[in-house]
Amino acid sequence: MTLRTIRFMIKEGAVNTYKNKLMSLASICIVSASLVIFGIFFLISLNISANMKIFGEQPEVVVFCEPDMDEAQASLVGEKISDLDEVSSVRMVTRKEYFETVKEMFEGNTGLLENLDETFLPVKFNLMLGDYEKCDDIEESLKNIDGVWDVQYPKKVVEFIRSISYWLRFLSILLIIVLLLIATFIMENTIKLTVHAREKEISIMQYIGATDGYIRWPFIVEGVIIGFAGAIIAYAFVAYGYTIIADSFNNDILQIGIEFIRLIDIRDISFLLVLLFIMMGTLVGAMGSWMSIRKYLKV
Amino acid sequence: MVEFSGVTKKYDNGTLALSDVSFTINDGEFVFIVGPSGSGKSTIIKLMLREEVATSGKVCVDDQDLMSMEKEKIPYFRRRLGVVFQDFRLLPKKTVYENVAFAMEITEALPKEIRRRVPMALGLVGLSRKAPVYPNQLSGGEQQRVSLARAIVNDPVLLLADEPTGNLDPEISWEIMQLLESINNRGTTVVVATHDKNIVDRMQKRVIEINKGKIIRDQQKGLYSNDTKND
Ligand SMILES: Nc1ncnc2c1ncn2[C@@H]1O[C@H](COP(=O)(O)OP(=O)(O)OP(=O)(O)O)[C@@H](O)[C@H]1O
Ligand SMILES: [Mg+2]
Repeated sequence: MTLRTIRFMIKEGAVNTYKNKLMSLASICIVSASLVIFGIFFLISLNISANMKIFGEQPEVVVFCEPDMDEAQASLVGEKISDLDEVSSVRMVTRKEYFETVKEMFEGNTGLLENLDETFLPVKFNLMLGDYEKCDDIEESLKNIDGVWDVQYPKKVVEFIRSISYWLRFLSILLIIVLLLIATFIMENTIKLTVHAREKEISIMQYIGATDGYIRWPFIVEGVIIGFAGAIIAYAFVAYGYTIIADSFNNDILQIGIEFIRLIDIRDISFLLVLLFIMMGTLVGAMGSWMSIRKYLKV
Repeated sequence: MVEFSGVTKKYDNGTLALSDVSFTINDGEFVFIVGPSGSGKSTIIKLMLREEVATSGKVCVDDQDLMSMEKEKIPYFRRRLGVVFQDFRLLPKKTVYENVAFAMEITEALPKEIRRRVPMALGLVGLSRKAPVYPNQLSGGEQQRVSLARAIVNDPVLLLADEPTGNLDPEISWEIMQLLESINNRGTTVVVATHDKNIVDRMQKRVIEINKGKIIRDQQKGLYSNDTKND
């Protein structure tokens, strides 16, 4: 295929897209509608997983030292804990500090603690993990350290987060697959209509000796143009809508005093989003054309 | 140029369109294929175009065995042929000029060649002035002349015409036949399937008559029918 032929086919595809305005417009709408739906789900899952990380850092693992251990011995245990790869930070809670928090817990009811001082409490460590997924693994390693009496962490919370993020990941992959299939299917059928309307044209081309590639490529160019246009329109809608929603959401949520949940700024993801849309749009367009023209090129 | 020997064509639905048909057409000949409706004229044209494949027998066109031709070769084979149909089959969204040029573009001809040959072909069929017009703005006769220009622009060795005058009145039909004859005079072999009695009788060319899928007459300088009483 010469460069001239490639140029000719691109021009043919572009001119055909223009000359079949109505059909092209219908296809563009369908592609952009599918992409908008996809974009909404994509942004939701992106935001949930971004906020999940913040949420994921919350659960603390608490390590208690043997109760008879003094604080010097305990700090040795603390060093061993911070040597573990999974641990991102360790904070030693002295008996005194610990006692203060316990007192706070029993506030107004100090009678219970009347005859007690901090010595009945063990030294404890609060640790943060880089990845809350590792809670189970690290529990074992912590328990194996000499002088560690008990390890506690909010199992339920961790399991909840874990199952949510698992399902979320699973769902978003499933969603992407389903939406891609739907978009291709819709595209295939829309293009099938245009191809059907142009069946005669295709057969004329075959009579005068056009090769399959010569007939197919302009259609694929057409599909790509339609997919591209659909992607740009979908992006405009999604980006605009998201900006409005994210701005007011972030505002409102700050006002009620929640700081750690924030919707992602559109500027951080616009490149990813536009790239994804264009890739999906053009791919779906090209695939739709390819599949719908296949039948007519058999004979 | 064309050789049919013992050709039988049975369509998928069981219709026997041709049975044991044999004939040879030499280079430069002008041949009419005549017969009543459903006799198999179009089937013969389709076999020559490799649109259909014979069920048995041998079909050779332009020294190529169409029975064993690979699918990928068909477009290249067709580029050496010109085709004209009753319904013109022009691309509605291309102008007259573009329709004719398209037949050259698909062969990846040089733009210079296209600019030279398309006006020539349009001149030959007398439509130079209609170059920028779309097919739906033309009369039937003019549309058929455009399709003739498209058929000859690549200088085909064989021109196949299936009822080229089927939609035209007698006067225009005659003009088209004159054009076909002049194309034939320039060396192109011409095969016309028709049931237009007037033009066949006037042209005095070789006539192959078929009926119910069988050749019943093959005559040089023939008339449409030997039976003078019954049409
Ligand atoms: N694609 C097809 N599938 C099945 N049967 C067909 C097909 N094309 C033609 N036939 C049958 O084959 C026979 C010959 O048809 P053909 O078109 O060759 O006739 P024809 O001589 O061209 O007729 P007409 O003058 O009406 O154009 C007819 O009985 C027709 O019904
Ligand atoms: Mg016919």
